[in-house]
Amino acid sequence: MLTFLGRRILSSAIPLLVVVLGVFFLARLTGDPANLYLPLSATQEMRDAFSAKHGFDDPLPAQFAEYLSQVARLDFGESLRTAQPAAEAVLRAFPATLQLAGITMLLAVAGAVVVGSLAARRPNSPADRIAGFLSSASASTPDFWFAIMGVLVFAVTLGWLPTSGTVGSAAWVLPVATLLIRPFGVLVQVVRGAMVTALSEPYIKVARAKGAGERRVLFRHALRNAGAPTLTVAGDLAVGLVNGAVVVETIFGWPGIGKLMIDSILQRDFAVLQAAVLLTSLTIFALNILIDICYALLDPRVRQGAMA
Amino acid sequence: MMTRARTALAVAGAVLLAGGCTVANSGSAAGADTLQIVLPEEPPTLEPCDASLTATGRVVRSNITEPLAEREPETGKLEPKLATGWRQTSPTTWRFTLREGVTFHDGTAFDAKDAAFSVSRTLDSGIECNVDGYVFGDSEVTAKAADGSTLEVTTGKPDPILPLRLSFVEMVPTGTDTGSRVREPVGTGPYRIDTWNQGINLRLARYAGYWGKAPDYAAALYTWRAEGSVRAAMISSGEADIAVGLAPADGAGDHAVEYPNNETSYLRMDAGKPPLDDLRVRRAVNYAIDRKGLVASVFAGLGKPAGQLVPDGVTGYDPDIRAWPHSMKRARALIGEARADGVPVDTKITIIGRNGIYPKAAEAMEAVQHGLREAGLNVEVKMLDVNAWTEYLLRPFPEDAGPTLLQAQHGNQAGDAAFTMEQIYGSKGAQSSYGTPGLDRRIARAERAAGRDRQERFAEALAHQGEEVVRDAVLAHMKGIIALAPRVSYQPNPASGDEMRLAAVHPAD
Repeated sequence: MLTFLGRRILSSAIPLLVVVLGVFFLARLTGDPANLYLPLSATQEMRDAFSAKHGFDDPLPAQFAEYLSQVARLDFGESLRTAQPAAEAVLRAFPATLQLAGITMLLAVAGAVVVGSLAARRPNSPADRIAGFLSSASASTPDFWFAIMGVLVFAVTLGWLPTSGTVGSAAWVLPVATLLIRPFGVLVQVVRGAMVTALSEPYIKVARAKGAGERRVLFRHALRNAGAPTLTVAGDLAVGLVNGAVVVETIFGWPGIGKLMIDSILQRDFAVLQAAVLLTSLTIFALNILIDICYALLDPRVRQGAMA
Repeated sequence: MMTRARTALAVAGAVLLAGGCTVANSGSAAGADTLQIVLPEEPPTLEPCDASLTATGRVVRSNITEPLAEREPETGKLEPKLATGWRQTSPTTWRFTLREGVTFHDGTAFDAKDAAFSVSRTLDSGIECNVDGYVFGDSEVTAKAADGSTLEVTTGKPDPILPLRLSFVEMVPTGTDTGSRVREPVGTGPYRIDTWNQGINLRLARYAGYWGKAPDYAAALYTWRAEGSVRAAMISSGEADIAVGLAPADGAGDHAVEYPNNETSYLRMDAGKPPLDDLRVRRAVNYAIDRKGLVASVFAGLGKPAGQLVPDGVTGYDPDIRAWPHSMKRARALIGEARADGVPVDTKITIIGRNGIYPKAAEAMEAVQHGLREAGLNVEVKMLDVNAWTEYLLRPFPEDAGPTLLQAQHGNQAGDAAFTMEQIYGSKGAQSSYGTPGLDRRIARAERAAGRDRQERFAEALAHQGEEVVRDAVLAHMKGIIALAPRVSYQPNPASGDEMRLAAVHPAD
């Protein structure tokens, strides 16, 4: 198991390094931050002084070496925009995204397991068709449209929910619902497909022949075997959410990492961008390892293959 | 196995919900005596010497901190604020008499030492103050306390508009950090900073020791939403009283209030490159643009066709300079004449546009492109993000580009054409792609003048540029939209986009 984990860590670490390198160099190709941070009428001397103060006039390799040495000391630099440590901004935003992503995935997986399993119980039954229609509609609904319509209907017209913000539990409903809709639709389809396959396997017939109840057959025997593909897709969807729910964060004013990253790209706030990318990359890296461990726990063939 | 899984699930849920509560409860509720304002973005800092930045200035200026004098946006007149008066004692020296009885939010008294410190901190501290670059440039300015209530300011060269420049310097107490920007400043304004939940909201509370008339609202709660339609929806749902920076498509409906916002949209022509180096072609560009149609259909009526870069209320504005009439016939004739004289009018001209510079920015450039093509020019549109666009706006310009028409917008917050002319029309201006010695001379003369003479000379320079140089195709003096809830009364003015004085907001009758 440890060898398996070691191999997975090594193979995930390479993309992590590529991402960090890419973000550092590509960001610096997109223009001079002095043009954004100084007024248009600033003199050339002011622009030169700005570049010198922030080290933007150094050769790129020297800037990268300085960045690596800072990271080694856990110093991620200072935001050009807010004059605060970049790590502070990122660590403030990241939990907000994680909470949103965590709750969304929990609800999406739980809902999809129930709906997908019930749909798979009798393929082509009315329940299956309704679930199929709803999951397709849900997976293909544009999130920005759903969010704006949600605001219009539930906040402006009915007055049941706040339009946006983070104050009060009701403020969670629209952001979570908007984030939930696509993963839920996709996962229902995956769970249903995997369950239909699992329910047609001989061991299910054996379980039924031995008198196992329908609930036990569904959720104990079939679901465990349908778990692997569900986990893979859920993992992918979770990675997307951790990477920042940009649309939801922008529309609902949610102070998360996605909005922070987009803002730091637009404003060439290199220190914040680099810190945000590094933290999300590390989290996704950890999430991938976790998914691999779960996969290995669920499927003995993966464990055996890894050990071989 | 099942029990363990359930327990794990329950624990995960509980942790997430508990975490959720940390975000959900990190705001603060607003009472009836709290004015709620929703902005497009969170202020990066509340640094007073960055008050010329819109995101900072609209919260800080005249709310948390105050300058010596304040420019009335409607009339352009300078009114006393922390200075009760000022006079020029020599061509390079000004004396300001300071108001007595003013205290900072920390209780300390405001005096001439604080004023001198504030000027010096803005200009010389090396903290990259936006006001320094925006208002002072390379001017030499020194300030000292002549006595407790008199500030003496000396300039390297005579500066007839020094009090106007100083109206951008917000007063802070001595001891304010000079090494880096402050996020939460101490000022003398009618409101002090109460709490700032970063990423969520900012609350200002009425300052009990304020020297002037107390504002109506006990507190102001700022929130921010990037999406305009959500800001507008917050007014409809009663979550906010004022929503700033809206576009016609945001759907504010009856809550929307239009106001002239000091911004003027224009196209800067690469007048040094063929075919735009030919005056006839530049005039043809102006004739080919249907400004009335553009304002009516693309800008949804939010603007007024314009012929000069400064709007009414700014020193130098000339009411006799009219927008170019739309005449495709004249445009075609001028292009034809130029073609006959060997001007390469078929050369591809690129419109460098900027996404989001104003609502429907891309559509506006497509409309312009259509008109210019109809006149016989070969035009394409390239829309860029702000940073890539800035490479074309500021010197040094990209060498391999051109000829270009640059989509731009200019806002003269300061109220004097000096803040427009040299940087945009001067031969060496940071944003100038072309100038002439004749225009440079006129600008320089105007900058040295004062009073009525200053107005006339700048008006003459603007007229000369519009008739003889024709470096630009000025499009429109723009309008902005804010949305107001029925419970508040506020009359927006041309400066409302850059500063919103909370004391000017009142409960509706």
